[in-house]
Amino acid sequence: MGSIRFENVDKVFGPQSGGVKVLDTINLEIRDKEFVAIVGPSGCGKTTCLRMVAGFEAPSAGLVSVNGREIKAPGPDRAVVFQQFALFPWKTVRENIDLGLRNKGISKTGRADLIADALKLMNLESHADAYPHQLSGGMQQRVAIARAYVLDPEVLLMDEPFGALDAQTRVVMQEELVRLARVNPRTVLFITHAVEEAVYLADRVAIMSRRPGRIKEIVDVRSIRLSEDWDRHAKIEDVMDLESFVHLRTQIWRSLREEKGANGL
Amino acid sequence: MNGAPLTIRQGALWGLLGIALFLGLWIFLSVSGIVPKQFLPTPGETAARFITLLTSPFAGATLPGHLGSSLLRYLYGVLLAAVIGVPLGLLMGWFRLLDDIVTPIFDALRFIAPIAWVPFAALWFGTGIGGPVMIIFAGAFPPVLINAYRGARFVEPRLIEAARMLGTNDYRTISEILLPAAVPSIMAGLRVSAGLGWQSLVGAELIVAAAGVGFMMVQAQASVQTTTVLTGMIAIGLVGMLIDVLLRQGEAWLRRRRGLEA
Amino acid sequence: MAALVLLWFTLTTATAIIGPGRFPSPSDFWLSLTQINVRGYAGATLVSHAWQSLKLVVMGFLVAVATGVPLGLWMGWDRRAEALINPVFLVIRPIPPLAWIPLAILWLGLGDAAKIMVIWFAAFVPSVINTFTGVRNIDRPMIEAARMLGTPRWRLIREVIAPAASPMIFTGLRLSLQASWTTLVAAELVGALAGVGFILNVAQQDIYPGMILVGMFTVGLLGWGTTAILSSLERRALAWNVAARD
Repeated sequence: MGSIRFENVDKVFGPQSGGVKVLDTINLEIRDKEFVAIVGPSGCGKTTCLRMVAGFEAPSAGLVSVNGREIKAPGPDRAVVFQQFALFPWKTVRENIDLGLRNKGISKTGRADLIADALKLMNLESHADAYPHQLSGGMQQRVAIARAYVLDPEVLLMDEPFGALDAQTRVVMQEELVRLARVNPRTVLFITHAVEEAVYLADRVAIMSRRPGRIKEIVDVRSIRLSEDWDRHAKIEDVMDLESFVHLRTQIWRSLREEKGANGL
Repeated sequence: MNGAPLTIRQGALWGLLGIALFLGLWIFLSVSGIVPKQFLPTPGETAARFITLLTSPFAGATLPGHLGSSLLRYLYGVLLAAVIGVPLGLLMGWFRLLDDIVTPIFDALRFIAPIAWVPFAALWFGTGIGGPVMIIFAGAFPPVLINAYRGARFVEPRLIEAARMLGTNDYRTISEILLPAAVPSIMAGLRVSAGLGWQSLVGAELIVAAAGVGFMMVQAQASVQTTTVLTGMIAIGLVGMLIDVLLRQGEAWLRRRRGLEA
Repeated sequence: MAALVLLWFTLTTATAIIGPGRFPSPSDFWLSLTQINVRGYAGATLVSHAWQSLKLVVMGFLVAVATGVPLGLWMGWDRRAEALINPVFLVIRPIPPLAWIPLAILWLGLGDAAKIMVIWFAAFVPSVINTFTGVRNIDRPMIEAARMLGTPRWRLIREVIAPAASPMIFTGLRLSLQASWTTLVAAELVGALAGVGFILNVAQQDIYPGMILVGMFTVGLLGWGTTAILSSLERRALAWNVAARD
């Protein structure tokens, strides 16, 4: 259903010869309802990968497809949650969530129901008629997630969604996302540079090399999460205390360190 | 915005099309007589007149002659505005008391278009050079003052604190800290001033002058010499553009020199 | 403010440093003001002149905004439109609006139409440029988000682009209004049969400083009033724009 595929994808910014090559022969398959995180040093092209699935960029070579269909343009089937929220400041929370539904042509009553569900899901009921500037960063990002979720997308694309939030809010949001993902699973492509976040949230973690980005390694987290039963612990700090978690995290960290070598970032 | 940016070639082609359409429309309206010929000569006739006026005089002087008169007044007016505006603005930014005195006066006078000073200018200076200079000053003064003021007032507080800590007196603070810090703002203000000054000049010359491009245009209008009127407009436009380009270059040079790319 | 008036009084009436032929004293001003209000001057009362000028400014301004903002939106949205129109714009733009006055008089005479034409020219340019800049400066993620949500073109322009650009659009409107007043006064000074600029013109020829001041004062007052109205509209339309609160 919502499978994503990168086939021999290259990406060059600028003129074809002499431009900057940010991605080199990316091959990645994400299965339906799988949660995959991409981690990598700054500038490695991980966000570009997401933007290609979203339809904001096109590959210079190779093919990016969802469900076997080549991606041509952005759309609500591949909903995006941006790092800077990208909410419309002149619309209320409700109106922000409503726009995508109106574009789909859903009837007024239908929309009202869907919005009510989304508000409930993201704990936004008491803020439904507030404007974005009246909300904290965490709440704004909740609205952004609600706006995406309400469209029932096949694929959810999250571009460092918690990067603009303070540390405590970030943790709360990570827990919420896990809750959502277990209750209402769908294919997720999650970009982050925070390794703990990736390990906590994802089924698999893809590690990218530094520019030009290649997929260096893919680490399977899910099997360990299930066998060690991480979901037994509701709190994130308990999970992060587990030896299996630490082991995975360190493994990925080491791999990333090698990449940070030359430019020392 | 919508779709990818155009290549330089594409952009140029569309641009040429735009200009072609514009000229085409002009020629069409003129030749077909929809607008009477005397009120809308063809581009060709206008260009011819422009060239003629470069050497033969009209209303007292050739085109360069008129431009010279205009530019002289313009420079006086703008320089006067800068010489008074920059120091005053800086001082106002530093000394609150001065700010409290000057700002209300300024606010009261701000809404009076510079051009409205023309009658007094005429009364006080007749058709002498003082009239246009005063109008230009009225137009060029506010942006310089405001920008100098803003530049000084909104200097990074840390810089002032550092200066204080180092025991810097008022005079030195203003000349060695506020002034340099305010330079970008002042430059931007000067650019706006120059533009407004040029506009005010034209307005002033339409009414209270005995020479200059504006005067030339009014005389041409009175004798229904439309080609001359259009020539005047083009000349004014070209010079105005030149002034703006020069100032932008100056601003950019200054920014590079200070290592800021604000 | 009161200190200013006091200063004015001192310089003129009390000490005659500034003689009555140069600048009116407060009492001169007051006399002229009452005269024009009660008996009229230059053909009509102050209110009538003011109304004439106000009418023209508002009409010119509205036409300029109604044509300029959509053009700016189109140029901002469509790169081909920008490439097409920009060169012509660059050529026309440096010509100061007031420079169009002689041409306008040639074409349309001394009546209202010529004035509205010149006002339109003056007010048109800032509206277009600021709207265009406003559109181009919209945060990319916002447009991408709207696209991602599947927003069709017209809805995108109406509900995303226009509101996002509205702070800059209002800046353009303010500049347009300023330009409208300046141009109107100039146009009326050059050739008119009524209006505030006309008062100034006649008072100058009559060497009547008190009345000149009345004219200037009225110009300032009308300018301030119209700007205040625009500002309050702006505040309401941009209530959501907390970022600009400073």
